[in-house]
Order: sequence, then structure tokens, then C-alpha cells
Amino acid sequence: MATREVISTGNELAAIAAVDAGCEFFGGYPLTPSSEVMHVISDLLPKKGGVAIQMEDEIAGVCCVIGASMSGKRALTATSGPGMSLKAENLGLAQMAEVPLVCVNVMRGGPSTGLPTRVSQGDILQSKNPSHGDYKSITLCAGNLAECYTEVVRAFNIADRFMQPVIVLLDETLGHMHGKADLPTLEEVQAGIKLRKTFDGPPEEYHPYECGPTDPAVLNPMFEGYRYHFTGLHHDKNGFPTEEIETCRKLIQRLEDKVEAHKDEIESYEEFMLDDAEILIVAYGSVSLAAKEAIRHLRDEGIKAGLFRPITIWPSPAEKIKEYTDKIDKVLVVELNIGQFHSEVQRAAARLDIEGLFKVNGRAISPYEIVNKVKEL
Amino acid sequence: MAVMAAPENTPVWVNTDRCKACDICVDVCPAGVLAMRPDPTSVLGAMISIVALDDCIGCNECELSCPDFAIYVAEKKEYKFAKLTDASKERAQAIAENNYRLPSGF
Amino acid sequence: MAFNYDEYLRTEKMPTLWCWGCGDGVILKSFIRAFDKLGWNKDDTCVVSGIGCSGRFSSYLDFNTVHTTHGRTIAYATGIKLANPDKHVVCVAGDGDALAIGGNHTIHGCRRNIDITLIVIQNFIYGLTNSQTSPTTPRGMWTVTQKAGNIDPTFDGCKLAEAAGASFVGREKVTEPRKLEKLLVQAMEHKGFSYVEALSNCHINLGRKNKMANAMENLDWIDSITVSKKKYDTLSPEEQMNKLPTGILKQDKEADEYCDMYKEIQEVHQGKRGKITQDDFEKKI
Repeated sequence: MATREVISTGNELAAIAAVDAGCEFFGGYPLTPSSEVMHVISDLLPKKGGVAIQMEDEIAGVCCVIGASMSGKRALTATSGPGMSLKAENLGLAQMAEVPLVCVNVMRGGPSTGLPTRVSQGDILQSKNPSHGDYKSITLCAGNLAECYTEVVRAFNIADRFMQPVIVLLDETLGHMHGKADLPTLEEVQAGIKLRKTFDGPPEEYHPYECGPTDPAVLNPMFEGYRYHFTGLHHDKNGFPTEEIETCRKLIQRLEDKVEAHKDEIESYEEFMLDDAEILIVAYGSVSLAAKEAIRHLRDEGIKAGLFRPITIWPSPAEKIKEYTDKIDKVLVVELNIGQFHSEVQRAAARLDIEGLFKVNGRAISPYEIVNKVKEL
Repeated sequence: MAVMAAPENTPVWVNTDRCKACDICVDVCPAGVLAMRPDPTSVLGAMISIVALDDCIGCNECELSCPDFAIYVAEKKEYKFAKLTDASKERAQAIAENNYRLPSGF
Repeated sequence: MAFNYDEYLRTEKMPTLWCWGCGDGVILKSFIRAFDKLGWNKDDTCVVSGIGCSGRFSSYLDFNTVHTTHGRTIAYATGIKLANPDKHVVCVAGDGDALAIGGNHTIHGCRRNIDITLIVIQNFIYGLTNSQTSPTTPRGMWTVTQKAGNIDPTFDGCKLAEAAGASFVGREKVTEPRKLEKLLVQAMEHKGFSYVEALSNCHINLGRKNKMANAMENLDWIDSITVSKKKYDTLSPEEQMNKLPTGILKQDKEADEYCDMYKEIQEVHQGKRGKITQDDFEKKI
């Protein structure tokens, strides 16, 4: 497979990926440490005839993106934790009305203003349910520079496939990391673009939300002769508000099931030196880079450690986690929060003896710390 | 312009499926053409009715003021509307003073 | 022949869920007549509404319609318009929607002067949620959250829009449907951000406890607090204080429209023109 080598930052790669994936619209608001995504894309999009706009606040940033996506455009917003909190309600509308979009969240220390320029992985649980109500969130997490690109590309295709927002988690370390990345060629990326389905029959036979129990809605772009209604209310097959009991139940169940039934299409993870591992480390994002380094050191000392790295965080690769935790006794989850994914590993493993190495002071976890922790197990 | 056919020889007509009996059309009619009639099946116990069809002057106030798309007035050029008479004005006044219902004697 | 509203309505949604006598229906009707007069195509038009009674406005229209979250109408519409600058985008919001929770978006929609028409249905109260104080509720009136009488100073949305940079600002009332229709035609024809305040009645949730419990009483009150712009300009400052002027209050046909300006940005990046500098603008600060 042909690749191209670029030297860049995670945030810049995320912006380039969006444009390569056919994104035509960006809306956002400055927020450290994600702002560079907007800086870069505000040059790239107008060059291609697209639009990048800095809105008056985080909420407007996601709203205009949803609006653009309703009209059929691939659209991106980028932010960090405080912005995610503000965008939450409208991400809920995009879940409910089934409007695809990609939201890059470059994680920083929280809660509240937290540590704006420091790294964290504190938004794992937030990205599972940013908005109120029942739905199945899709969250991908880049674990290296190249994935800042490839996961954003993948996110656009998943968003159009499942007709809902897809969150791509970067963290401050990755977002600002400057280095070499091997990327797929532009031709390969473009060949892999799968746009949302559309209906091309007569308008009177078009019912955007009439679909199978595990299918997403089929939303034609606006202004093409298929006039229907978007709403955040419970709605019927044509998008109109309804309180009809069965219709309401089916709608919400479908929002859950359309992802759950097809999660194999979304699931993605990396297995690193796991074949003979006696110690399982679970880590993701920038922490996984330290974990890999630690594993090399540990193996030099004869300690057989391996890494399981979820790339798709939600829905979590629970079956795969269980497979490993059934096999390996000593399990350590390393993350920059106080056990947000740790609890998911416990749930998936159905084990309460999962160890954790957590850090919430805004500093990265070093390979040395992981090595020491593993030796204590 | 979006147009619909008017019933034959009818200056003003109503759609009782849409009327919510708010009284506004009766209030704005200067010619006492409209009044509410009792209707136990309506939410507010009343329904729009046309009490003096031939006296409609075609001013269109009722149609423009109806929030519920329940009342229609024929095009000026297609129908010869009545002139506003003292008798019409008197009836309008009496209807307004009788809680928008046609008093006996009219 | 008569005017056929049904050509623009989703007739299966009739009757509307608005209360009897609600001005929202008159505004919907005036909008339909204005739209018909403009000769625009339903497929080329998007109507975006927010939350509240006014939020249902879009669902009754057989257009491309969007019912958004509370206050975010203009933010959604900005995305739709910028992504489709040759299409028509109309926003409908209530006074709470446009001036309270969505005030920021209203200000910045006006400031950008993006070619969107915003119809603010101003009925001086939160109607749908049952009589809470709105930024436009007159002082001293009863609201369910200020039963002792409202002490909050009020907003003049039109003055706000003017100051924020909307290039078209107008106000009309449901008791003058012909004038409202005309104002809407002018607003929608205008290129740039058009702010139209349509004064409406809510005799149920404003009127009931403020001595105007039927539509006619509430409408009479609206008539009593409004004067034409022409007349308003002849009043003394004291007299003006308790009146709202109606008609076109501002129109600037020369103001730069945002989608047009964004095309310049695209041209800069495409190497078709030099960078935009301060010299490109008459008003620099």
C-alpha cells in the first residue's frame, strides 16, 4: 500500500484529513488546545470553494455545522472539553434528527476550565453521552499522529453510514505533537469515501425516517425537491413531531440499535505484543505511545507485557477486551483520568481486580511510571 | 399567485374543520356577515357561521385576520360584492355586543 | 377564485396546535402571502424555527424545514445559508428564543449581515411554557415567575438589531396583516440580515392575568402601544417612551452581505485576488 510521509502536528493532520475526506464546511470557536484545527482548515476550505467560519460561541459552532450537514455537506467542528459541554445539547439534536457530522475533541484537563494547555483524557465518559437521552454515541480515538488523520477520515465515512455525529478524540499531546506521519495517499482516501445514502424515487414516496429497525434514516439534502422536516422532537416517518407511543419507542430503540447491530463495522483496536503476554496493559490516545515504550523496556527485562489499544472507544470493543482479560490475569489500565475507561474494562471483563494507573495533573504519563507500576503488580 | 376555485356565487365561505372559534373574524367584519353559532362539539362551544352572505363587501379583513386558514373571500374581480349599508353596520354592532353571536331579531 | 394557502401548507397538520386566536397563525398567513408575492420556489427555501409556540411555524410549511433547539435558529440558518448561498433562508423565533436564550446569535447574525430574514414573533411573554417573564414583558405586568409584578427592564429588539448591524429592521403587528405582508416582502427581498419584529397576541398566557383575556382585548392593547414610524418621529421623547414604532425602521442597501464577502475570501485563497485589507472597507473600526 502506497503511503505518503508528512511532517505535521496532530491538529493540522485532523484538518487536512477532513478536507481530504470531502468536508466542505467547518464551524467552530477558538478553544485551546484544539484551535489549530480551525486555523488550518480556515485556509484549506475556501481554497476548495468550501466554507470555514468562526462563530460567536461553541454552541453556534456546532449548530451551523449541523445546518450545513442538513443541506448535504460533509461538515466538521473541533473543540475541547468545555466546548463539548456547550455543544452537548445540539449534538443531541444531531443524534435525534440523524444528522451526520464529525466533532474533533482535543482533550485538555477538566472539569470546568481545568488545565487549558495541558493533556488529559478526561472526556471519555462525556463522549459516551454528551447529551441527555438514549442514543448510541460513536467515538474514535487517535493513538498516534497518523491516526489523527486516518481516524478523522474514517469518522466522516462512519458518520454518513450511521447518520449521526462521530466524535474523534485527540489529546493535547497528540494535537500539538509535531512529527512524521505515514498517511494513506489522497487517491486511496478519496476512493474510500462512502457518502450518505439518498433516495431517488418520487418525492411522494419518500419517508426519510421510515427504515428498518437497525437502519439509519435516509436523509436527502435540502433544496433538491424532497421537502421534509428536521426536529429534535420525537418524530414520525416524515420527521414530524409525534407522541404516538409505538412510533416514539421504535425511534429511540432504533437510535440505539442502528449502532449496536452493526458495531463490527465501527470496531477498531490495536494488539501490540499480546501473543504471549502475561500482563495486559490497556491504554489509548497519546498514553499508548508511552505504554509501547514501557512494554519494550519490560520485555528487555523479561517481563512479558502487551498492549490492547482501543481505537474505537464507543461502542467499546468489549468482547475483545473480555477475550484478553479471560486469558490474562494481570490487567492494568493506564489513562489520564481517574478510571473512566477502567470502569468500562471492568464491565467488559466482568472483573473487579483490574488495576489502574491514573494521572490527572495535566502531565503525560512516562514509560518509566508504567514500568514501575507493572513491576508492582 | 396560488389560487383555488371559489364555490359558485359565494363571496365568503368557511372551513369548520379548521375554525377554533376565536371570534376575530366576527370582530373585524364591518358588515355583520359573520357570527358564532352554538356548537356543543367544538372546544369552545361555538362555531363560525355566515349569517348574511349577500351583505359581504369583500374587504377580506376576516380572511387576513383568521389565524387558522378557516375563512376565504372571493377575488374582488370575480364577484360583485355588496356595498356597506347602515343595516349591515347595525347588525355588526349588535353581534359584537352579543358576545359575537347573532341576537334575535336579525 | 381565492388565495390558496394550502399550496404552501402541510394541510395534514391543520388545524395548528396554536390556541384559538393566536397571532402566530396570522403571521404564518402573512408570510405565505408574502412568499407567494415574491414568487420564490418552495424547494429553494428553508424555514428554520426554534423552541416555543413559534417553533411549530416551520412544521406547517411545505418547505425544507428545520425545528432546532431553543435559541439556536440563526446559528443553524447561518450554516445552511453559507453552505447554500443561492438559496433562501428564513428564521422564525419567539421573543424568548431570539432575545433571551438566543440573544447572542441574534446579535452576531445582525453583525455579519448574512442574507437571512429573521421573523421575531414578539408576544411579550413565554407562551408555550405558561407565562414566564420574557425580555420583552412590560414592567408591572403579571407573570407566573413574577406574580408581584415584573420588575425587569425590557428589550427593544429592533433597536438591538439596528445597533448590532442588521441592514434591514422593521416592525409590524398582527392587527395589520396587509402591512405585515408588505413588510415581509420587503424584508425577504432585501439582501442582508433582515430583522422583522411581528407583534403578536398571547391572550392565553399574557392576557389572562393582565386584563386582556380574549384575543380582541390583547390585540387592542397592541394597537394602543404602537404608532407608525412616521408618527413616532413626531412624538416627544416622553411620548415615544411608551410606544413602539411600526414600519421599516432601518434599511441599508449598500451594506456588505456576508456570503458575498466570503466569496472574496475564497478568491484570495484561490489566488484570484490579493488579500483583503483595511483599504477595502469604508468603515474601518
